[in-house]
Amino acid sequence: MRILRYLLHRLAFVLPQLLGIVLVSFLLVKSIPGDPAVLMLGPTATPDAISSLRGQMGLDQPLYKQFILYVDHLLHGDLGTSWQTTRPVLDDLLQRFPATLELVTFSLVVAIVVGLWLGIASALRPNGWIGRLTDIYGLSAGALPDFWFALVLIFVFYTLAHWAPAPLGRLDIAVLAPEPVTGFMTIDTLLAGDMEAFRSAVSHLILPVLTLGLINAGPIMKMTQSSMEKMLASDASRYEVLCGIPQRLVTRHALRNALPSIVTIVSVLYGYLIGGAVLVEIVFSWGGAGQYAVQGVLNSDIYPVLGFVLFSAIFSLIVYIVVDLVYVLVDPRISY
Amino acid sequence: MSIAVGAERPVAAPNVAEDLLRVEGLRVVFPTSAGGSRTVLRGIDLSVRPGEIMGLVGESGAGKTTLARSILGAPPVPGRVAGGRVVFRGRDILALPEKQLRRLRGHRLAIVVPNPRGELNPTVRIGDQIATMASVHLGLDRKAAKARALAMLRAVQIPDPERRMNAYPHELSGGMAQRAVIAIALICDPAFVISDDATSGLDVTVQAQILDLLRKLAAEHGSAMLFITRDVGITAHFCDRVAVLYNGEIMEVADRNALFLAPAHPYTLLLLAAFSHNPGLRQGWSVPASTPPSPAACIYSGRCPLAQPLCRDEKPPLAELGPGHAVRCHFPVRR
Amino acid sequence: MLTVDRLFKQFPIAGSSKVVSAINDVSFSIAPGETLGLVGESGSGKTTIGRIIVGLIEPSAGSVRFDLPGGRQASGRPPTGKVQLVFQEPSESLDPRLKIGATITEPLQALSVERGAWRRRVRDAMGLVRLDPALLDAYPSELSAGQQQRVGIARAMITEPDLVVLDEPTSALDPTARAEIIDLLKRIQAERNTAYLFISHDLSTIRFISHRVAVMYLGMIVEQGEAATLFSQPHHPYSSGLLSSVLLPHPELTMESAVSLKGEIPSPINLPPGCFLASRCPFVIDRCRVEMPPAETVGAGHSVHCFRHADVAATRPASKTFEAFMAEAERILGRPASQPARFVPKATERNSHVRTS
Repeated sequence: MRILRYLLHRLAFVLPQLLGIVLVSFLLVKSIPGDPAVLMLGPTATPDAISSLRGQMGLDQPLYKQFILYVDHLLHGDLGTSWQTTRPVLDDLLQRFPATLELVTFSLVVAIVVGLWLGIASALRPNGWIGRLTDIYGLSAGALPDFWFALVLIFVFYTLAHWAPAPLGRLDIAVLAPEPVTGFMTIDTLLAGDMEAFRSAVSHLILPVLTLGLINAGPIMKMTQSSMEKMLASDASRYEVLCGIPQRLVTRHALRNALPSIVTIVSVLYGYLIGGAVLVEIVFSWGGAGQYAVQGVLNSDIYPVLGFVLFSAIFSLIVYIVVDLVYVLVDPRISY
Repeated sequence: MSIAVGAERPVAAPNVAEDLLRVEGLRVVFPTSAGGSRTVLRGIDLSVRPGEIMGLVGESGAGKTTLARSILGAPPVPGRVAGGRVVFRGRDILALPEKQLRRLRGHRLAIVVPNPRGELNPTVRIGDQIATMASVHLGLDRKAAKARALAMLRAVQIPDPERRMNAYPHELSGGMAQRAVIAIALICDPAFVISDDATSGLDVTVQAQILDLLRKLAAEHGSAMLFITRDVGITAHFCDRVAVLYNGEIMEVADRNALFLAPAHPYTLLLLAAFSHNPGLRQGWSVPASTPPSPAACIYSGRCPLAQPLCRDEKPPLAELGPGHAVRCHFPVRR
Repeated sequence: MLTVDRLFKQFPIAGSSKVVSAINDVSFSIAPGETLGLVGESGSGKTTIGRIIVGLIEPSAGSVRFDLPGGRQASGRPPTGKVQLVFQEPSESLDPRLKIGATITEPLQALSVERGAWRRRVRDAMGLVRLDPALLDAYPSELSAGQQQRVGIARAMITEPDLVVLDEPTSALDPTARAEIIDLLKRIQAERNTAYLFISHDLSTIRFISHRVAVMYLGMIVEQGEAATLFSQPHHPYSSGLLSSVLLPHPELTMESAVSLKGEIPSPINLPPGCFLASRCPFVIDRCRVEMPPAETVGAGHSVHCFRHADVAATRPASKTFEAFMAEAERILGRPASQPARFVPKATERNSHVRTS
């Protein structure tokens, strides 16, 4: 199988890529001003206490030694400890990263459904009412800040209509969280057979997913629209029309040829939203990884930040490999 | 034969019943960026009888591709049919709803396009593209459609057809892609085939093979053909009748022998003169193009070496000069 | 004036150890004021030869020599301005943002011609190709394809070259514009004694303009000789096949040469041993498949690579058809002597009937 060989070839490059990412982010995080020892001990600490803590944390070592030490720990599965939560970063992230992933994944599904549908419909009839609607929609989706849109949704559906639950986390306070298996609340509640918790999880997901989904449908719609318009105007599509192929089939073929550019924008959004959803996470007190990393940055708590970068990088690399596989499967002209 | 009397009125010919396809007064306009419109076809009258190969020659910009696609009810974007009819077996197909028209296209009326490697869908296997035609138009199931596609690939003499069924367009040579497009056009046994400059991108030795193939298959399938080209030489050998298109108007139409042995329109003579190696002869038929004539004038009068004052005042009709020979000229050449 | 000796060119294929053999052992020469027609189909290597001669591509082996005034010689890259190239697609070879005048003067920048003389030289060049001087400030997009190609020729001629390589200069043009460009090129040659390497796949055009003709197939010149003799009696099956596929606009005149070639040009990667045409040739014998036929001289300056050239030459000559066509053209194209009378179509019963319906 050539495709298997291609996959192995790609995977071989993952480790060096990750090492590079860790190095760059390590240097960047280290260049953030602020001394963690000072922050940890508070304003009343004595200089002696601070310097002894610095020695304990290895902060008095040269930078390259700190880096080697960090990588050595990484290889042993130790991502360091967060001084804020006083827990290992790995444990924190294993709990929080799935929360973000669940939010972002469901949001992207909404964004893809809305974006594809509007994009295709407007490409088929660029001068129709849908075409005009999509123009307005694309403009507003690009202009509205997501946290503001989230607040509007909360105001309308929670404060006024009481349809949505309070924006405080992933479950009602009264509901007991199920044993984490996948970390996806919707899946774990189903696995536990707890329908009440499942309903609670879904109802908490609706508003943040709508927020991120509707905002991020904008770029997907724009990309779908422009590449579909290009494909429908291509010689190949015109030729199919001249051959009497039904429009349904012409559209399907055009969509297939437009797919690479749509997949590209979806994959970029996926990677971006892992960190980019942080404002929405904060508004809904989601307790996700983005929120965790931001807290780390603000408090010079470097290990959560590095751990988050590492998780995001691994995730993005997986997404990009999948995307490249999709390209290869869709377009026979790509040789690999 | 269709002959127009008066500037715009198409006049039905006596043997209407014999015509398989008749284009009557077809006008196609393109909107311009300035907000106006440009007329690309100015009332085309043309007829094709069953089993006949009708040639249409014209230089680039004459409106050849626009005509080919407008006959199928799909003029090139953003063009629009502004008048006239396309009568196929007694029915005006341009008046049909899009869905019914699609059922005719590719099925009863097929087209062979130039530059097929750009026109074929790059991500669909050749065999599937051909088979789709059979399943869409003939209602064949997947297996039967594939079998028919394979038979068609064999009929167009593609070497190693079983293997080529699974090939993608970019894996074919220009000549093979042209054969695949012919297979797509003929798989449903169409009554009428338009060949739009189908041999233009091919090498001459391959072109000869493709022409032989087209002629043979059209005869086997009983298809009539409108053979559109800019190559005058091909039409002299390949077509039964030939029409000359200039700037969106038919200038002359006649049986092949009459057109090439006794051409009557100065523009036809200019086209033939391009093949003469005697510059003196050629220059006699070419005049530096002058200002565009007024809408009332003969459209060729600005380039015509025989133009008289009348030609600038009054547009000549496409009128019968002899049996089956019509010319749009006040002063046709006769010997 | 130009001598090309045993030229080879191989292009490596990216990511593979295979090579494309674009040119295989090509030799020819061009005398001052002469036109050599290089004819062949796509992939025959004719464009590559043109590019090697103007110095755009380095040959893999072999030499290109230019004879300079005073008996000097230059090898490899031609002396600046002495050899020029005209491209196939006039619209693509002209910079769309550059005015015509600027386009034509471009080559003068490379030569140290003083600016004061530029204006005169542009006007001369435009006059030479019969371009209206009013077009000096026009952009290429405002010109017809024929005019654009005149600009391309003017740009080549402004340095007063000894040799112009014309790479399919008329292929993108309509027949009427094509004929005008050919007339123009012949006139310039008569005035300036410029030599041409005229590259084309179009035999009628080649026949029209060339003094001598070289027929290329898969990087080889399979036959070369005087245009008149080669066209009247080709000795190579490929030349004969090319000739027989020429369709003259006369329904009764066909090239009834017996040679029709099967299939398509094979890939220039990993060429087979023996004659490259063997898989397509109706004259093929076993020997052709194992052994490359050597060049044989069959007349003055006429050489051919074919074991069976005598059999090929015994087929019906094509020249009779061309001559018959020329005679027919005289008859058909002769201007009518007297002023024509107006043609009034008969108002037949049929027409009046339809009019009222």
